[in-house]
Parts: sequence; structure tokens; C-alpha cells
Amino acid sequence: MSTRRSEAQRRSKLVLEHVSKEYQLKRNETLLAVSDVSLEVFDNEVCVLLGPSGCGKTTVLHMMAGLVDPTTGLLSFNDKEIVGPSRERGMVFQSYTSFPWLTVEENVEYGLRLNKVPEKERRERVDFFINKVKLARFRKAYPKHLSGGMKQRVAIARMLANSPEISLMDEPFGALDAETRWHMQELLLDIIDETQMTVVLVTHDISEALFLADRIVFLSRHPGRIREILSMEFKAGRRIPSKEELLETPGYLEIERKILHMMREEASDVEQ
Amino acid sequence: MSEYSLSSTQREERTVRRKSRLFEFNQSIPFGSVLRLGFTAWFIFFGIWELAVLLKLTNAVLLPGPFTVLTSFVELFTAKNYLYDVGMSLFRIVVSFTLACMLAIPLGILMGTFRRVEAFFNPLVSAFRYLPAPSFIPLLLMWLGAGEAQKLALLFLGVVWFLITLIMDYAKSLPADFVNSALTLGGNRRQVLWTVVVPAMLPDILTAMRQMLAVSWTYLVIAEIVAASSGIGAMMMRAKRFVHIDEIMAGIITIGLLGLVFDILLRRLRRMLFPYLDSE
Repeated sequence: MSTRRSEAQRRSKLVLEHVSKEYQLKRNETLLAVSDVSLEVFDNEVCVLLGPSGCGKTTVLHMMAGLVDPTTGLLSFNDKEIVGPSRERGMVFQSYTSFPWLTVEENVEYGLRLNKVPEKERRERVDFFINKVKLARFRKAYPKHLSGGMKQRVAIARMLANSPEISLMDEPFGALDAETRWHMQELLLDIIDETQMTVVLVTHDISEALFLADRIVFLSRHPGRIREILSMEFKAGRRIPSKEELLETPGYLEIERKILHMMREEASDVEQ
Repeated sequence: MSEYSLSSTQREERTVRRKSRLFEFNQSIPFGSVLRLGFTAWFIFFGIWELAVLLKLTNAVLLPGPFTVLTSFVELFTAKNYLYDVGMSLFRIVVSFTLACMLAIPLGILMGTFRRVEAFFNPLVSAFRYLPAPSFIPLLLMWLGAGEAQKLALLFLGVVWFLITLIMDYAKSLPADFVNSALTLGGNRRQVLWTVVVPAMLPDILTAMRQMLAVSWTYLVIAEIVAASSGIGAMMMRAKRFVHIDEIMAGIITIGLLGLVFDILLRRLRRMLFPYLDSE
């Protein structure tokens, strides 16, 4: 259980300034997916983007990765403008992206090969992260023999082995069943604590957000914009490693109630 | 009485009754039954055919029996140098199809991957796809004569447009997040193309080839019937002149068998080359 540095000491890693994204649907029809989002992500924090579907949270994450360009506004990483994807900003996707033609270890090694990491170091990093995600027994297996949770662990290991400075995760456990999701969240929190990594994670699962986040950025939809940023003050600067313990922490229920209330309001917007 | 309170004997009766049904929606059947039923259909087909000939219900010249057709194979191979004809046909298929693949595979991948390449080539390719290849025969005869080049060109034109389109569609259906994963891992465009797009496409390319190879045989027959002195189609046209119906039928069977063999070989190859895939 690590303690976080106080906010004043923290260095901002990734900055969004008045970022908007408009999609051209037809000739005279546009969709404003993200409207005027300004946000700072600090070094060594877990920042969760939470919101109902259609709130533009995935678009925001894709812009952070450099896979999508903003229509207006500026994104910068380590004080440099983001102009495209880079290995310093790793990403895990909701869909299973472990390459089916590579074994588990070849998948984890993939990014290291792209970046011409020497073989000895490659092997060490692969071993380290395969053990970290508890896939040592399956290192020679192809993805088709793996369960959904294991495939996502491969994707996480592949990203981490590449030593990114920030990890962007787009609903990484969204396709998993409830029990697996819960295990994966605890595993992820362990790894985050151990590696001190900086994470931006997108989810629509309130309990996942509360469990993993140091800060929750709540987004509303039509257009996607920041509604509120919530600090997880009830955690008192530490990460709580189990869900049961989290439930018993004073202050948890209030913040959950508050988020549920916001979700309900967002839902009623649609019915109008 | 609810379903859960059935006695064990009642349960057994229920299963027995279900098993005894001949036709059950989407119910799988044992492999033995699959084989038996398949062979039975062929047996009945040949039976009726042979019976019709034996009972002289048909004109024996225009419809020889299955055994006559079988024996004509022996005659063809021993006395009429049929092996050469089969070899020529195979040669035409293999050469023209290889040429078509050499153009269609890279072009299809690039068109399916880069929108600008698609926007440039697709109007052309789609238009040519709708021009029936046999309509080019008079033109090809004038340009290339009646030799091998004309036949290879016809076979090439018959499959290349569809092959391009098929491979392009497969390339488009590649999960975008495969490419996105590689990009966020630091891959440049050339690396992503060669280490993600191409390996991900290989099984689909083989499937597209299997589909179009069958079409290639159709155009082979057309090419060899129009103007050829060798090949399975040419043999059939010779046989027609001498009213050797049995040899014409032997030709048809040869083409069917060769098509089947190619199909099986390509399926085997797919399973061998791509053991990481779920079975098709």
C-alpha cells in the first residue's frame, strides 16, 4: 500500500486544454463528441474517466493516445504536444488485441522487437511481466487457448513490457464476466502499486471506478464534457487492495451515492 | 408434475424417445451416419443411371452407363495420351492463378488498408469485375492469337478482379485495434504493415484463393473449348466430334475431381500453416 504524494507536489504528466472533437457524419451533419475538455493527469496517479455510454470518454482516451486528432484544443504530454501514437503512451483496448498468430510470450515481446530492444533485456522483461500477470504456465500457448481474462492479461503485459510512461486503458475488463473482472481489478491495482505507474482508465462501471481511482473524472453526454472531478479523499491517500475493505471504508457510500445520482440524471436526459 | 420430479425411468424413456427421431432441428449426428448417408446418395445416383442404361430406357450412344465411362478413363490414359491434356490444363490453371495472385494480394491488402489506394483503384476494379471475362475472348484471340498467352489471359481476367475485391474486403474487416495496438507500442507504418496487417491477413488470403480457384476451373473449360488443341476441354471437344459421350463425361469427372483435390489440399495447407486458428 503506497501513499500518494500530496497534490501540490505532483507534476502534471498529461494536459488537455479546451479539447473538442467533432465528427463529420454526412456532408452537412456533424456530431460533437467531446466539448471543451480541460484536464490534467498527474504523475503516478490513477485517473478514471467515468460516464454513461456516449459521453465521449473513449474518444478522449484515443486523443490522449494520439490515435485521434482533436478538432480544436491542445493535448500535451511531458510538455510536448501530442501529434500521434508513441510508445511512451501505451494502451489496452476493450476488444481482445493479443495477436492470434503469436504465442503469449511472443505477444509480450512484440513491442520490444518493434523498438529493437537487445535480446537479453527482451527476455528478462518478458519473463518479468509474464510472471507479473501470472501467465508463466501459458507462455507457449496461442491466444485461442486462453480465456478472456487471460487475453487481457497478455495485452496488459505486452503494454507494460514496453515500459510506457503512461498506461491508457479503454474499458479493459468490459468484456469479462463479473468474477473475472473483479480478480483483474485487484491484480491491476497490485501492479499499479508495485510499478508506480500513471494510469488513465475509461469505464462505465461505478464500482470499478471507485476501486481503482485516485481521481474520478465524471463525464456527461451530448456533447461529452466534464461534469465533475471527484477526489477519492475517503481513501486518505492510500490504495485499498480489496473490495471488501473498500466497502467498509468510511466515506465510500456517500461518494458512491453521489455518482449513482449523477448517472441517474444522465440517464433521464436521454428519455426526454 | 414439474420436469424435475420425473422418476429415473421416465427420464430414460424421454431420452430414448428423443434419440429415435430421424429429423431433429440442428441435432448433430454421428460421423458414421454422415459417411453412410453421403455414400448412399451416390450409390442411388449411379444405381438409377446404370439401371436406366441396362433396361435400355435411354439411347446408349447419348447416355453410356457409369461403367462405360469408367473404362473410358483407362482408354484415355493408355491410348490417347490424356495425361498430357490433364497436365496442360493444370499448367494453365497454376500459371494464370499465380500471376493473378501476384497482382491481387498486394493490391487487395493495400486497398483494404489505405483509403486513398482504395479510392484510386476501386472504381476501376469494380467496373472490370462486371465485365464477363468470356466477352474478351474475341479481343484476346485478335491480340494474342490462339496460343497459350490467350488462354492464360482469359483465366487471369476471370479471377483477378474478384480476387482483389475479396482480399480488400478481408483486409478491411481486420480489427482496427490490432493496428492501434501496434501503433501505441511504437510501430511505424512499415512495421505495422509487415508485422500486423500481413500476418493477420495470411489465413484470409488463403481462403480467398480457395474460393477463386474454383472459379478459375470454369474459365479453363471455356478457354479450352473455344480454341485449343490440348487440355481437358480440348479432349472433350475432340470426343464430341467422334460422339464419344463416355469420354466427354470422363472429362467432366476429371475436372470435378481435380477441383476437389485442390480444395482439400488448400484446406490442409491452411490447417498446417496456421495452427493457431480456431478450426474453420
